[in-house]
Amino acid sequence: MPQNLTLNVNGTGHAIAVEPNSMLLYALRNNLGLHGPKFGCGLAECGACTVLMDGKAIRSCVMPVSAVGRSEITTLEGLGTLDKPHPLQRAFIEEQAAQCGYCINGMIMTAKALLDHTPHPSREEIKRTLEGNLCRCGTHMRIVRAIERAAEQGG
Amino acid sequence: MSRYETYTGAAGLLSRREFLQASGGLIIAFRLFDPAKGAAATVAATQSVSPPPAGRLYAWLAVHPDNTATLFTGKVETGTGVLTALAQIAAEELDFPVDRLAVVMGTTSQTVDQGPSYGSMTVRYAGPQVRNAAAAGRQVMLDLGARHFKLPASGLEAKDGTIAVTGAPGRNITYGQLVDGKRLDFEIGASGEQFAMKVAPQARPKDPSTYKVVGKSVPRKDIPGKVTGQFTYVQDVRVDGMLHGRVVRPYGVGAKLLSVDETGLKDIPGFVQIVRRANFLGVVAQTEWAAIQAAQKLGSTLSSPGPDGGQAKWSRWEGLPLMDQIWDTVRSSAGRDTPVASHGSVDTALRSLAGGRTLKATYKTPFQMHGSIGPSCAIAEVKGDRATFWSGTQMPHETRRDMAKMLGIPLANIELRWIEASGGYGRNGLDHVVADAAVMSQAVGRPVRVQWMRWDEHGWEPKGPPIVQDLTGALDKHGRVVAWRHHMWVPTISDTHLIAAALIGKPDISGETGTGADPALTYAYTFDNADVVVHGKGRVALLTAWLRSPAQFETTFAMESFIDELAAAAGQDPLAFRLAYLKDPRAIAVLKAAAQEYGWVSRPARGKKPSPNGKPVQGRGIAWVNRDDSRVATIADVTVDPGSGRIKVGRVVVAHDCGLVVNPDGLRNQVEGNIIQSLSRTLHEEVAFDRSQVSSRDWQGYPILRFSEIPDRIDVVLVNNRPEYPPNGAGEPSTNPTAAVISSAVFDAIGVRLRQTPFRPDRVKAALG
Ligand code: FES
Ligand code: FES
Repeated sequence: MPQNLTLNVNGTGHAIAVEPNSMLLYALRNNLGLHGPKFGCGLAECGACTVLMDGKAIRSCVMPVSAVGRSEITTLEGLGTLDKPHPLQRAFIEEQAAQCGYCINGMIMTAKALLDHTPHPSREEIKRTLEGNLCRCGTHMRIVRAIERAAEQGG
Repeated sequence: MSRYETYTGAAGLLSRREFLQASGGLIIAFRLFDPAKGAAATVAATQSVSPPPAGRLYAWLAVHPDNTATLFTGKVETGTGVLTALAQIAAEELDFPVDRLAVVMGTTSQTVDQGPSYGSMTVRYAGPQVRNAAAAGRQVMLDLGARHFKLPASGLEAKDGTIAVTGAPGRNITYGQLVDGKRLDFEIGASGEQFAMKVAPQARPKDPSTYKVVGKSVPRKDIPGKVTGQFTYVQDVRVDGMLHGRVVRPYGVGAKLLSVDETGLKDIPGFVQIVRRANFLGVVAQTEWAAIQAAQKLGSTLSSPGPDGGQAKWSRWEGLPLMDQIWDTVRSSAGRDTPVASHGSVDTALRSLAGGRTLKATYKTPFQMHGSIGPSCAIAEVKGDRATFWSGTQMPHETRRDMAKMLGIPLANIELRWIEASGGYGRNGLDHVVADAAVMSQAVGRPVRVQWMRWDEHGWEPKGPPIVQDLTGALDKHGRVVAWRHHMWVPTISDTHLIAAALIGKPDISGETGTGADPALTYAYTFDNADVVVHGKGRVALLTAWLRSPAQFETTFAMESFIDELAAAAGQDPLAFRLAYLKDPRAIAVLKAAAQEYGWVSRPARGKKPSPNGKPVQGRGIAWVNRDDSRVATIADVTVDPGSGRIKVGRVVVAHDCGLVVNPDGLRNQVEGNIIQSLSRTLHEEVAFDRSQVSSRDWQGYPILRFSEIPDRIDVVLVNNRPEYPPNGAGEPSTNPTAAVISSAVFDAIGVRLRQTPFRPDRVKAALG
């Protein structure tokens, strides 16, 4: 049966009623209308659903809501807006680092967690960190450049 | 009486306020125009949802009171940036600021059918249609200005969305004021259909040498929304009263549904019902999670329980050919032959060869998939004899017609609202999922959103077919090519019958059964004796559809690798060897441009075998293609590790001639994408299947290229980017040379010739012996 619980997302508590064993991704997308995180595989294989949980990049498609507890969740929407993009988002715009863009949520959120604890990663570190994120359009070169640019600008 | 009709929104669907709300966002910098939100709630049941007439200006353009404008096009964005490219073309001709021009794509009630968006043909074919419509639009603005100022149009000029009196500073008026909120109900004329449609034949578009917006790297309009989570993909659309559906596909491509045990389904909170119709099985629920749980109970899981292991029982079906014999099926099912080139006599040349060499080789390529990162998704609302769809299909107008056929609903009552999806790269599952949603919505009488699970996508999206090719080449004793034979067995790439339609027992919707032929290759060499034939479309058991540069990726692999084999056998430099047999100046130009950028030093391929556990060795490869008149030459460096069999790509140089480039940075983005995706197809990709079904059901079963494997650099050189060369397609051409480039580079490095993709490490090691 659906349970009432509170999710802390992008700095605000949200009361929702969901199946406790359902995955965080569906709560974010369907209950909270946050479409930054995407469904790609539901198998922790592609990274499209990545969000931050207490600052760590996690795959929301395999994270049961019941395991989230009081943790702080940050989604792509929580980083910045069209008017005030986060430095990473700005760097992705400046590098025109998207084709279809479906994977980009995962790229930015994974990069955010990286830059938060390694502000100046090497190119190899960036690639290694993104190794589990798939992009089918082949935007990889620009994604790497965008993250380097954000790092230079102190993202 | 006014020649205008009162402005009722873009094409009569949005209230003006909603339209301005929706499009207003775009005006400030790069906000979003979200057709999903605006249009969703406002269609009255009695309104016409037929496409607008192509000969009226309002079918292409709307100008709004705040001096913003909207371009309407039946073409759609698939991630390649055509939205921005078409906006640039329209803004150029209309003399309108491109950042104030929104684009509505694909929605069948608002756009003209310009044909599906495939084959790199959008800019080439739809570009001139949009260009003419916008040029006609500028003329209308000048005429309106003439009436306003009571001056001849010749004394006026159009600039940045304003009509100004020449030589009278301050006397000007915006397009928005001139149009005054009305629909642009002017006849501009149109004839023909889809790709061949001629629009506004009287229009006088600009001289390309005067272009100011076309040719600029205008930032893509969609990217800010996409990187901030504000963009609406079809996967994000929600409709009032909507339920969630999931499909439960047969175990076995041709299996019959025997029984469904519904035990436990009712216990899933939010479960509504199953939808069973002949062999179609789906579930519908209030929540997405409940739909997933219910489908899982019936057998929709990553590791499927088998035909009778789940609660849905299927007949045992094992009609697929053996995977490693699929190329025999390709040969034996071939239809009519079509000659591509026939010069002299290859047989005579081979018989009379004295002192030279004859080479023979067979090239094989497997089933490959589109593999969109976001699985196919659509919403259908079927109510009585009316239907509305929200879909990201590449071919909205076709899909609308298909739905009329499948549902038996009059075409005039069907609307498809197009919303961008995850990148497609060809015809994937996006139109099939419309049919799934339609069947379920019809059954439950409410809007149903269906998203495929990852295994549905991998397992059931139509695939690019396997191809087999035999080549024979002969060199005389001076190392000159005296005979060239290239026979290709290319199955149909349009065996795309809608899955749901077939499952409910209507197997004839939207697909072909084969026989004809598609050249799939542009042959440009000047060998005296040549015999190039396509053995026409056979069928190969799994649904097939066009996949980025259909068949030509594969035929270029064989042709360009085999040229390299001949060059190596003749002991000649592979670039010089090609140039000796080419007359096409644009082909020669791209090859030379790539060589110059790369710093090509003339030498034959080394082709020496390394010691088994020797150090990694480097090699280089070159190849080119003519894809629908766009020429591309690619050169790449690889490093091959003989111990592990791993191929690592270093620098890639691409010389690209698609004529005048509408958006140079957009083109570079495309080329980079093509190179990385085609490297992935070259190194990794092969759809596995057993006798029942596709067994590559997720990214583990169908690996694609990852960050650690991307090239060090991709350098792009633009060739013939000049006004005198009309813009040509760029969405696909640079995919084509890659497999041949890598095959030849591997040969240069380690002396083994890889003739079957993908070049996995185990294959490289096996080839080394
Ligand atoms: S959707 Fe979560 S990893 Fe793919
Ligand atoms: S940009 Fe399309 S999947 Fe990465």
